[in-house]
Amino acid sequence: MKIATDIGGTFTDLVFTDEKGNLHFDKGHTTPGHFEDGILNVLERHVTEDSLIESFIHGSTVIINTLTERKGGVVGLITTKGFRDVIEIARGNRPDLYNFKYKKPEPFVERYLRQEIDERIDFKGNIMKALNTEEVDEIVHKFKELGVEAIAISLIHGYKNPIHEQQLKEAILKIWPEVYITLSSETIKEYREYERTNTTVLNSYVKPIAHAYLKSLKEKLSTIGITDHLKIMQSNGGTTSFDKAMELPINLVESGPVAGMFGAAKLGQLLNESNIIAFDVGGTTAKCSLITDGKVNVTTDYYIERNEKFAGYPIKTPVVDIVEIGNGGGSIARVDQFGSLKVGPDSAGANPGPVAYGLGNTQPTITDANVYLGRLSLENFDNPVSINKVEEALVEAIAKPFHVSAEEAAQGILDIANSNMLNALKLISIRKGYDPEDFTMVAFGGGGPLHAINLAEELGMKKVIIPYGSSVFSALGMMMTEYRQDYIQTSLMGFDHHHLAAIQENIDQVIANAYADAPLSKDHYYFEINYDLRYKGQEHAVKLNASTITLDEEGLLELAEAFHIKHKQEFSFDLPATPIELVNLHLTIYGKDEAVQFKELDFSSIDGSTCVKAQRNLYVKGTGWVEVNVYDQQKLVPGYVITGPAIVENPTSTVVINDKQSIEIDKYGNLIVEMEGK
Amino acid sequence: MKKDVFAVEIIQDSLLAIGDEMFVALARSSMSPVIYEVLDYACGLTDAKGNLISQGNGVTSFIGMLSPMVQRVIEKFDNGKKLHEGDVIIINDPYVGGGSHLSDVGLVLPIFYNGEIIAYSANKAHWTEVGGMDPGSFTSNSNEIYQEGLQLPGVKLYHQGELNDAVYEIISTNVRLSELSIGDMFAQVAALKTGEKRIAELCQKFGAESVKLSIQKLLDKGEKIVEHELQHLPKGEFYAEDFIEGDPLKGGPYPIKVKVTISDEEFICDFRGSHPAVNVPMNCSQFGLMASVRVMFLALLGDIDVINEGVFKRLTIITDDNSIVSAKRPHPVSMNFEARIGAADLIWKALAPHLPERLSAGHLQSVCTFILTGKNPENDESFLIVEPSVGGWGAANDEDGQSGQYCMGDGETYNLPVEIAETKYGIQIDEYSLNCDGAGAGQFRGGLGVRRVYTVNHNGQKVSVNLGRHQFAPFGLNGGGEGSHNYLIIHKKDGTKIGPVGVLANYELQKGDRIELVTATGGGYGHPHERSTEAIERDLLNEYISVEVAKQQYGYHNA
Repeated sequence: MKIATDIGGTFTDLVFTDEKGNLHFDKGHTTPGHFEDGILNVLERHVTEDSLIESFIHGSTVIINTLTERKGGVVGLITTKGFRDVIEIARGNRPDLYNFKYKKPEPFVERYLRQEIDERIDFKGNIMKALNTEEVDEIVHKFKELGVEAIAISLIHGYKNPIHEQQLKEAILKIWPEVYITLSSETIKEYREYERTNTTVLNSYVKPIAHAYLKSLKEKLSTIGITDHLKIMQSNGGTTSFDKAMELPINLVESGPVAGMFGAAKLGQLLNESNIIAFDVGGTTAKCSLITDGKVNVTTDYYIERNEKFAGYPIKTPVVDIVEIGNGGGSIARVDQFGSLKVGPDSAGANPGPVAYGLGNTQPTITDANVYLGRLSLENFDNPVSINKVEEALVEAIAKPFHVSAEEAAQGILDIANSNMLNALKLISIRKGYDPEDFTMVAFGGGGPLHAINLAEELGMKKVIIPYGSSVFSALGMMMTEYRQDYIQTSLMGFDHHHLAAIQENIDQVIANAYADAPLSKDHYYFEINYDLRYKGQEHAVKLNASTITLDEEGLLELAEAFHIKHKQEFSFDLPATPIELVNLHLTIYGKDEAVQFKELDFSSIDGSTCVKAQRNLYVKGTGWVEVNVYDQQKLVPGYVITGPAIVENPTSTVVINDKQSIEIDKYGNLIVEMEGK
Repeated sequence: MKKDVFAVEIIQDSLLAIGDEMFVALARSSMSPVIYEVLDYACGLTDAKGNLISQGNGVTSFIGMLSPMVQRVIEKFDNGKKLHEGDVIIINDPYVGGGSHLSDVGLVLPIFYNGEIIAYSANKAHWTEVGGMDPGSFTSNSNEIYQEGLQLPGVKLYHQGELNDAVYEIISTNVRLSELSIGDMFAQVAALKTGEKRIAELCQKFGAESVKLSIQKLLDKGEKIVEHELQHLPKGEFYAEDFIEGDPLKGGPYPIKVKVTISDEEFICDFRGSHPAVNVPMNCSQFGLMASVRVMFLALLGDIDVINEGVFKRLTIITDDNSIVSAKRPHPVSMNFEARIGAADLIWKALAPHLPERLSAGHLQSVCTFILTGKNPENDESFLIVEPSVGGWGAANDEDGQSGQYCMGDGETYNLPVEIAETKYGIQIDEYSLNCDGAGAGQFRGGLGVRRVYTVNHNGQKVSVNLGRHQFAPFGLNGGGEGSHNYLIIHKKDGTKIGPVGVLANYELQKGDRIELVTATGGGYGHPHERSTEAIERDLLNEYISVEVAKQQYGYHNA
């Protein structure tokens, strides 16, 4: 039995395989404060004494919650002399340009908790001034007095030579063995002192909480016999051990959301779709991510709490590149003071939720618009839905101020929501130099399938895939992940044959570090190396993947060639005569563990001729109400092609296809929508 | 028309997104860090008359430059009649619409749909080089515009889609590092074409008439917002006086003054009586002034989500002919932001006592330009660092001032990380810390400046700075104390020192000299004795204030 659990805001999703490798889904309520209880509740329904647990993979929002709710531990920071204020000065930027009362991000460690130590390493990694550990006693004494629970150490050029950071750690542990310590060189070996220091501090901040949570979860799991093969989902799209997660919990910051993106990439590999736009719509947000050459894109350009008006906090840890906007099923539609229709980011959440939930909300949401237009079945809800209440909400909030009908108001809400979502989709594709027409959309989450078709149409995409288990696809994606760690090392030098030996030396060093760090022996892993390259004199780098970990003259030339091409694609120009510089080496180490694969379903007992379950009135923009067939997804068999307009439903998700489009189930249970028909 | 109600929303949303998309497109394809890192540029759209529809900005002041620039181009080309499909106009004249200094080069492209101009896409970007007496075309040494670089008065860079070779050659011959400037020029053209393409797509999808209607409604909305916001501003006449600091070796400081008149219908800034234009490059033209005043105006209005020409309809600026804030050719304007921001800061000073919910006490005010040139000791390659500096902002009626932020004229501007500076240029930085000395005392304390210390590790490097608010500190508010000054000191290896100074041009350094750049702390708000004991004790704990300051300025005696 292989298990994956994903904790969301409302539900804790469970996916597991039985002894035959068949996939099963379940969900239970999330239990805030004690997430481990919610996990146990849903697990206990399926795990028995006889269950043979092959792996347990867990995705959690504990880290991001600890950060956003400011519930972490007291952190003491040690920096190089002269630089303790770097974390407070930050970068000096003011995204809210015309707000002269802008408040910059407050550091997670106040000034009195920041100590300096006399030492200095230069940019080449040479020791300019030796570390003076005599000051350590005093610093430790102060930190203890001030109630520090975790220490962050971030020294200038510590990424280049971590020796002083390591010596400092040793000296502290000698006199304070139980304190949590994070070194900047353990989080990421990239230059930019503010970003690295902030990452180190945030790791320290969440460490006490992560420790307590994982320890408690481990204990609870052991009570139902789950003791080994415990893994946790990281932001980089791979897993790591509980022990490692306790050391670098900051790597879990996007633990949940990335799993779905990774799942979409895996599904693409299975279906020979290497270019994918993964699209996930939940109750409050929509997320999207671009997958190229079958791989998720991992970036270290990640921030929490950043938006167009706030600088946010950088976390330089590898994270699958996701764009998120505040439009989901529960997003509220309203008319602003100047008479414009706005949708989101305010959300009715799960409680009271959309008007259709009948829990007292009277402001119309995206879900209500979908219900009113016949796109969502009333039977999808646990409660009896009052369509009159939904209509009343639409009329009062939107139709009356705009002097339109309730249908037009509902359609307006969807148009605005789609326009918002389109902007996010364009951000990850067109604005980065990719044409969406070359991509297939994989849509999941509660609302993904419902919106994807119209969005794909707008973007000129040819195909949309609604994966099997689309509403729990994040947990499903988690099942398919493997061990992954990223090691990034700033190694600034010319990318040319003069530096061939030096580059190789750096690669070997990074690999040696990675082996030393990995929990198992060498043969359990395989590598991938990426080079962050740029033109000399330029700042922006391009990430290039190499097939081998040894670099020879020929490989260097090939990479240079590829660099010019990719640079032109990403930045619209190339400079073939300009020398190329290596900025970072980025090594990824993957486990060879056997990940769960998508499985062909057994359709033999399904009578495909009973797949039409009802007719329903559907509002079609520009046409009006039309009666269309509603198909039961669970009764579909491969080879049966449905032509739009039509609705396909299963208990947790709905797809609406338009005129001329077609839909067909494949042998894995995915719905394949051909935008131009089949 | 009924069917169009939501289309208007979506078109408007798209128009705003186009401004942003052009902005991103230019950063993506620029070769110059000053553009893609410092974001010293803007991209936007105007309607067929040159009214601003939407704009993406990295620094504030450009918000007031694009539409006047387009209007200038329309006027120059016979009310647009001499503009054709495929034309691109290039312009950096500081003294006409949209002008600031020569380094900011603007491009304008008329967008035709079915043979008719439906809109303009425009952008303006700080070029690394436009020629002139000093590398970087950024000089505090000029005494007339002819020393500051190549002047482009608004000529066709493209004529009906064809590159104008003559203009191209003149530019590439007259600028240093022409590859960068020319590269940026083409990046600007590409961004304009993105705007053109998107507008055409909108017209195809919704029809040109719907697009025009949406633009009009958007402009109306901007005007409506301001009508509404004007009701909340204090009414009457408000006065302030201050100084533009020049180079003390050449003269100054130069007095400037403003009278702000606010009624329910109008917002008038009258700068008459300010000092005449001077022969140091701290002047700005009336269009440079307009750019900064518009920024200030937006700051007063608070959080509005639509910024377009309609917003500025009620704003009027009056100046004398050819003053330090309305200079005419050939008065030098290279450091025009000092006069521009100084003048806007006057409005701030005049209104801050009456609008505490929007305005704080005085801030560092100056861009605090720091320029270091010389050779990298690692490889003997020449480098040029041009960096604005962060400093303290003033305290407000409900909070302490912000520490280590760029001045109002900057915006989404980032400081240069120490680790990158050292790696890239081979220099040595020993300290980057908060400057707590002299933070404006008050019930709410002024924000902190910074101290950045360099040790010179190679002979022959040269330093230049241009620091405003060197002689006159940021103002306090409502009984709060003044902040402190921006200054630079050079601690020479031989034990002597230069400074503190506010302006320094190409000072040659020796190995072992130390450069200490210190930026201003902000002004305080309210009487210091009103400050809570808790806040004072927190400040003591954090060493933001000394025990002595706590006693003397805050009347705190428990220490």
